[in-house]
Amino acid sequence: MASLREVQDSFAASLRDPAVACAVLPPANLAVYRNNASHTFRKSLEITYPVVRRRVGEDYFRQLSAHYRQRFPSRSGDLHWFGRDFAAFLDDYLDDSGYRWLADLARLEWSVAECSVAAERPAIFADVLTRYAAAQFEHLVFQLQPSLKLHSSAFPVFTLWSTNQVENAPPVDQSLSGETGMVRLRHESAEVRTVDAGLFSFLSALAGGSSLGDAMSTAALDGRALTDALGFVFREGLVCALTLNEAR
Amino acid sequence: MTRLETRGAVQGPIPARAGIGLRSPHHESLLAERPAVGFIEAHTENYFHEGGGAMRALLRARANYPLSLHGVGLGLGSVDGVDREHLAQVKRAIARFDPALVSEHACWVRARGEFFNDLLPLPCTEEAARLLARQVAEAQDFLGRQLLIENVSAYVAFEHSPLPEWEFLGEVVALSGCALLLDVNNIYVSAQNLGLDAHAYIDGLPAGSVREFHVAGHARNGNVLVDDHGSKVCDAVWELLRRAVRRFGPLPTLVEWDNDIPPLATLVAESQRADQILRERRGLAA
Repeated sequence: MASLREVQDSFAASLRDPAVACAVLPPANLAVYRNNASHTFRKSLEITYPVVRRRVGEDYFRQLSAHYRQRFPSRSGDLHWFGRDFAAFLDDYLDDSGYRWLADLARLEWSVAECSVAAERPAIFADVLTRYAAAQFEHLVFQLQPSLKLHSSAFPVFTLWSTNQVENAPPVDQSLSGETGMVRLRHESAEVRTVDAGLFSFLSALAGGSSLGDAMSTAALDGRALTDALGFVFREGLVCALTLNEAR
Repeated sequence: MTRLETRGAVQGPIPARAGIGLRSPHHESLLAERPAVGFIEAHTENYFHEGGGAMRALLRARANYPLSLHGVGLGLGSVDGVDREHLAQVKRAIARFDPALVSEHACWVRARGEFFNDLLPLPCTEEAARLLARQVAEAQDFLGRQLLIENVSAYVAFEHSPLPEWEFLGEVVALSGCALLLDVNNIYVSAQNLGLDAHAYIDGLPAGSVREFHVAGHARNGNVLVDDHGSKVCDAVWELLRRAVRRFGPLPTLVEWDNDIPPLATLVAESQRADQILRERRGLAA
């Protein structure tokens, strides 16, 4: 008599590969479980990656979904996480093709999915800077909204994303230049927008924990550009807290 | 945390009335129309995140309805053991939404680290009953409350499965101290697929072990009935509910409809049909 471990192992093996026998009756009905799984995982990916699905079409997306699951089986009872490695999968799967932009598009869509279930923290405003002496500004460290995700791509993925919010959108010219941008929670929805390369560099440095002075240097911002960038982060409600790190 | 977020929420036990599942197409209409259903049920895993539209809708709906949290991801019959990370998320959701009932399934969901995200059936053996009971008890200890465990639909029978399913579930109840969520559609589907006696199933469960009922629609795929929650409840399942109510008394009864979700009014009409069956029993008792 098989142990429960052996029963579950053989059942699981038979779900993965119909050629593997399992001591159940009728064996043909195992197809119901296989179909349920295929459907569940594909639907989960479709919900997370609607724009990728639109661009590649139903049949190819189905194929991608099946191969993805083989390479990246589910590791959680919470289906939300099933698609987390889809961009990495596409990087590899499409390595030698002209479709590598799909991986960057998937990365952007994953950020949208994550942002959509993130919490929005109360923002602080620029007047908080008046608490600090001018000499301290360069040592300020910004805590940005946890929902904020920054993206840089060699492809026009932000344009692709916004153009394909509807079915049957016209193709986007892939020869367009790359884009930088961000995803953040605004009014309980994910907002996707481009930002210029300098602001992107500044935001990335701040998000990485750099002080204001270091972020300004990294992004090569002059005084006027810094003023604009600071205006942006406060006006957009991206700053949750400031700390002074003069020890650095 | 969390509990403060549901201040003003409906408290106390869920009444012995029909409820409906909270599904995203109904978020707005449920809040606007406030249909007279006894409770709402939500899939626990949809509320693991800090924010999101589903979370906000549930917090708002809690002002009007008591809640049952229904998990589909723990799979407490998995030989791999209890997924403590998932269980901790369930505990956070309980603290946040303050449900009157919390339920899971008599199933397994993963093997050697791979999740199938489906309600996979257990053989009805002493070994499986003891393992499920032990892990249900472990989960209950961690959560600090009783769980309701639901019978699942089956499409296959194990070659070695010596216990009738109702005895298997009765043993899990006795060993773990859990209660049962009796899904009468699942009984019907399993009975049709595997030749079980649905009446013997209901009659064979321990008296007093059931605290909630589920009913749902199913689909026929060739010779197999599939528990797809995508249509109205069939007459045979309503009859089984009637029998279950006669045996266990009127209890909170959920109408599940998760695919091809109809307008809210259609779902509410189905719940009124369940309410009618619950009232028949209350009328007898009066």
